[in-house]
Amino acid sequence: MPKILLVEDNEMNRDMLSRRLQKRGYTVVTAQDGERGHTLACSEAPDLILMDISLPAMDGWEVTRLLKANASTRHIPIIALTAHAMVSDREKAIDAGCDDYDTKPVDFSRLSEKIENLLVAKKVS
Amino acid sequence: MILQNLSIKRKLTLITMLTSSIALILSSVSFLIYDLVSFRHLLSQDLMTQAEIIGYNSAGAMEFKDEPAATATLAALTAKEDIVTAVLYKPDGKIFAHYFRSNTAFPGFLPSHLQEKGYRFESGYLEVFQEVTINGEHVGTLFLQSDMRQWSLRAKRYANILIIFVLVSGLFALLVSSKLQGLISKPILHLEDTMRMVSSNKNYAVRAVKTYSDEIGRLIDGFNTMLSEIQQRDTALQSTNGELKTRTQELEEEVFQRKQAQEELLKAKHAAEEANRAKSIFLANMSHELRTPLNAIIGYSEMLEEETRDTGKIENVQDLRKIQGAGKHLLSLINDVLDLSKIEAGKMGLHLETFDVSQVIEEMVTTLQPAAAKNGNSIQVHLADNVNTMRADVTKVRQILFNLLSNACKFTDHGSVSVSVDPIQLENREWIQFQVRDTGIGISAKQKENLFQEFAQADASIARKYGGTGLGLAITHRFVQLMKGQIWVESESGQGATFTVRLPAQVVIETAESAPSNRASKVPAASSETKTGLETILVIDDDPSVRDLMSRFLTKLDFHVVAAANGEEGLRLAKQVDPLLITLDVVMPDCDGWTVLNKLKSDSKLAEIPVIMVTVVDNEAMGLDMGASNYLIKPVDRDRLAVLVEKHRVARSSTITDASTVPFSYVAEGPAGRKTVGSRVPKTRRN
Repeated sequence: MPKILLVEDNEMNRDMLSRRLQKRGYTVVTAQDGERGHTLACSEAPDLILMDISLPAMDGWEVTRLLKANASTRHIPIIALTAHAMVSDREKAIDAGCDDYDTKPVDFSRLSEKIENLLVAKKVS
Repeated sequence: MILQNLSIKRKLTLITMLTSSIALILSSVSFLIYDLVSFRHLLSQDLMTQAEIIGYNSAGAMEFKDEPAATATLAALTAKEDIVTAVLYKPDGKIFAHYFRSNTAFPGFLPSHLQEKGYRFESGYLEVFQEVTINGEHVGTLFLQSDMRQWSLRAKRYANILIIFVLVSGLFALLVSSKLQGLISKPILHLEDTMRMVSSNKNYAVRAVKTYSDEIGRLIDGFNTMLSEIQQRDTALQSTNGELKTRTQELEEEVFQRKQAQEELLKAKHAAEEANRAKSIFLANMSHELRTPLNAIIGYSEMLEEETRDTGKIENVQDLRKIQGAGKHLLSLINDVLDLSKIEAGKMGLHLETFDVSQVIEEMVTTLQPAAAKNGNSIQVHLADNVNTMRADVTKVRQILFNLLSNACKFTDHGSVSVSVDPIQLENREWIQFQVRDTGIGISAKQKENLFQEFAQADASIARKYGGTGLGLAITHRFVQLMKGQIWVESESGQGATFTVRLPAQVVIETAESAPSNRASKVPAASSETKTGLETILVIDDDPSVRDLMSRFLTKLDFHVVAAANGEEGLRLAKQVDPLLITLDVVMPDCDGWTVLNKLKSDSKLAEIPVIMVTVVDNEAMGLDMGASNYLIKPVDRDRLAVLVEKHRVARSSTITDASTVPFSYVAEGPAGRKTVGSRVPKTRRN
């Protein structure tokens, strides 16, 4: 079962998304802030990370940059989730090293598709 | 020469006197000469007659050799004062008898030899020879000598008379001429006086008085006419001057008032823009805050729907769908509001790419097929053969078409919706025209008025019946405007509607204002400029029309133009694009031109970039003091601007040539590393 790390500070969204992902058969690990997200990404070795961008203390960009700079976590695909929906956010995400990007509120079927695509791509490589 | 400079009065007198005196002297002298000559002739005739008488009287005495008788005859000559010598010669030439008025003359004055009968003038004396005969026999010769005393006396007297006469008549001529010269000189002198008065007092009311109707009289007439002409013009000129002064004052006043009004307007405009920006930022933040709870609403309802379906409680699924629908409606509203706020904040960028038009149409029709089917509508596509590709922001073209087509499908029931695409040529430009036609409920004339306004759905009841945010057409309109296109609608209530969108086949970004304000999107722009080899000019001005005009003008001169709407953006772009030069406005909100100039010149990396101030503020000295290269006052003299930018282009190309001899690798990279040898640190490029 692919393991997904969900980094999200909003409790409701964290709960909702993790339950829906579990329903799809993924193992879900959650973190409510950037620091914890970073720790879990290193210790849990997830197959994919869903990263909210607006996080307290250390934001999603920062965590992504740290993970992509680390040889042991560099290979983990990261999908950035943002509520801003500004064009600049998309570019920021790509700049920071995210593999994909989606806006909130999440269109779950679209997000699942993106997750699947990245997991398949990871397997192939 | 002295004569020539004499006053006309003197000249006239002198001329008259000289002329009359010369005439007088000439005539008197000729008369005198004539008189003296004829008197001398008379004298000689008289002496000859005397000689004949004496010869006759002394002939007997000579015949009889009676010397005393002859001497007595000769002695009678004492009565004749002028006869100084009388001698009777014998035929052999010896003196027979003689008479001398004084003894001193004898014998030196006697002729050396005797002559025939006749007279001659010898050394101031008149001499006469006379033969003495008796019955035709020559008995001797008589010689008379006169000192012409009478003649000399006469000549002397005449000379005296002449001198007196000339003096008297000269005096008289002087009197007369000095009286009469006034006839000519007086009016001329008067004219001269008048002229001097006019020229020294600038009094054109003075007139010369005309005395006679001669040439001078006419001269004075002419002079007076001229004066009155000048006086008229002077008066006219003065009154015009007065008017001009008043008008200038009025104009100055007006300019001042306008300037004030302009400043107030500018302030008001900035305040309004600021308020608008604040509103947009607020909206953007709000929409962000709204999305988070919406995420939960939609997510949970979707989840619940799935679970409910799994447990077989179908009756709840409908309600859960309504929650989802409402949530999605709210989301689209928020998205639209965000779009609008981005447009208004000037943050809606254009991402131009070349794309296949038919492909986009195909996609849109496929996407909307379900919506059309829902109301029982059919969608037709009319694609002109010669429609290929266009360059525009494809996402926005999609959204425009989506909005128009979904509206058409929404407001048409069991009818047809058609979309046609045609290339057209207008004002020497290529356009792509999209027309979306439906057979639906149509739009009334009143509804059309506010059709493209935000939150202006045709009718409040429509929102209830058809849903929608009322922002779709407003956003469509704004997108079309962003791409410099046009949109309009033709429709009547109940007769369907035709929306026409005309977009340039090649959309061009004219200022940097519309570009998103982040670095990532700018770097490719800078590198594309390197490829085309055009020099970049950065235009910093808060007035969009100025930016537009400058961009157009400089683009025509083969420059790549990057524009900034405020000082901060300008400074950021200056660092990013390393322009050839910067044109800088002074009056800008927040960070004004002086501040920008100061920051540019105090940054070692930017200090070398020439800055041309382009402003309404007339303070060239300050600009140049602060380091600006040139100072232009708005409205800009385009020719001068062209010359200036060309000068800088030439200056830069010459420094590139210099730099190319220096083995720095960045020199070859293009504009990023030019002009900097020795003074600037080579740029490290971010990739």
